[in-house]
Amino acid sequence: MKFLTALKTALGLAPGCEKVNEFLAEYVEGALDETTRAHFEAHMNMCKCCDHYLDQYRQTIEMTRQVEEIPVPAELAEHTLAFLRKNANFPSSPQG
Amino acid sequence: MESTEKRDPVHGAPPDEGDLVTTTAEGAEGPISLEALMAGDEKAFEQLVMQESARLFRVIVRIIGDDDEAQSILQETFLQAYQRMSTFRRESKLTTWLYAIGINLARASLRKSRRISSLEDQEVERMQPEFNRGMFVDTPAVWDPARVTELSDRQQLVRKGIDQLPEDYNSVIILRDIEEYSTEEVARMLDISPGAVRVRLHRARGALRKLLDPHMRRMPRN
Ligand SMILES: [Zn+2]
Repeated sequence: MKFLTALKTALGLAPGCEKVNEFLAEYVEGALDETTRAHFEAHMNMCKCCDHYLDQYRQTIEMTRQVEEIPVPAELAEHTLAFLRKNANFPSSPQG
Repeated sequence: MESTEKRDPVHGAPPDEGDLVTTTAEGAEGPISLEALMAGDEKAFEQLVMQESARLFRVIVRIIGDDDEAQSILQETFLQAYQRMSTFRRESKLTTWLYAIGINLARASLRKSRRISSLEDQEVERMQPEFNRGMFVDTPAVWDPARVTELSDRQQLVRKGIDQLPEDYNSVIILRDIEEYSTEEVARMLDISPGAVRVRLHRARGALRKLLDPHMRRMPRN
């Protein structure tokens, strides 16, 4: 099976690393159609380079997700409402 | 599901995703009525401000990197949204439309006070993996899961990397990977195609990967 995929790649019938790389964003998003995904995964199974790269790519996304939170100032929304009352004929809040 | 009959008959092109049209926005005090917002109801708008300020503020701070400036951009965003409410076309979620206004203002402010030490587009291009006849030139290293989790300044490293990205790449990373908006929503917020979002996202992640790579490799054993 691996031999067949390697042969197809060599003959230009299956995607190479560069082509596979172009599809990474769609792949991790689950947006690839079934046929393309099958080609993609067949290549991943036989190519150490792409497999390592996909792993790094996923970890990069994960680390980006875990970047530190931005602290939100106290009364942020209240300040915005005060600004709107001053600048947009926004009525005063009944609470004051 | 409730969206079908609410689609703007004038601007009839259906959105790509069913949930892009919404008649309500969920808030802590219950859903905000879009009809009330469109009719200029201040109470409903107040609820929108209470509900969206924190998240929108965080997005703006990540784009421009300045808290005080972000606060005034946030205020200006809500002011413009309030004044332009009648121009909302219901082709997207109201929040997507609101964020598009905020992001535009943030980027305009960024252009005025150009950040230093940001990478050039060509540098992002050079940070992508190299291929020869369609195959990887170098085998990518295996990252060490222990280093990835233990690295104490990891968050700082990642944040610095994101900050260095050119504006176009920086905003897709913030919206898609940090705030986790869908590709379709990000496309609408930035007024580009979903395909363009994926291309920019892919390059931005590739550049970040390159910056992280030297810190994440498995240490050679003694
Ligand atoms: Zn490969």
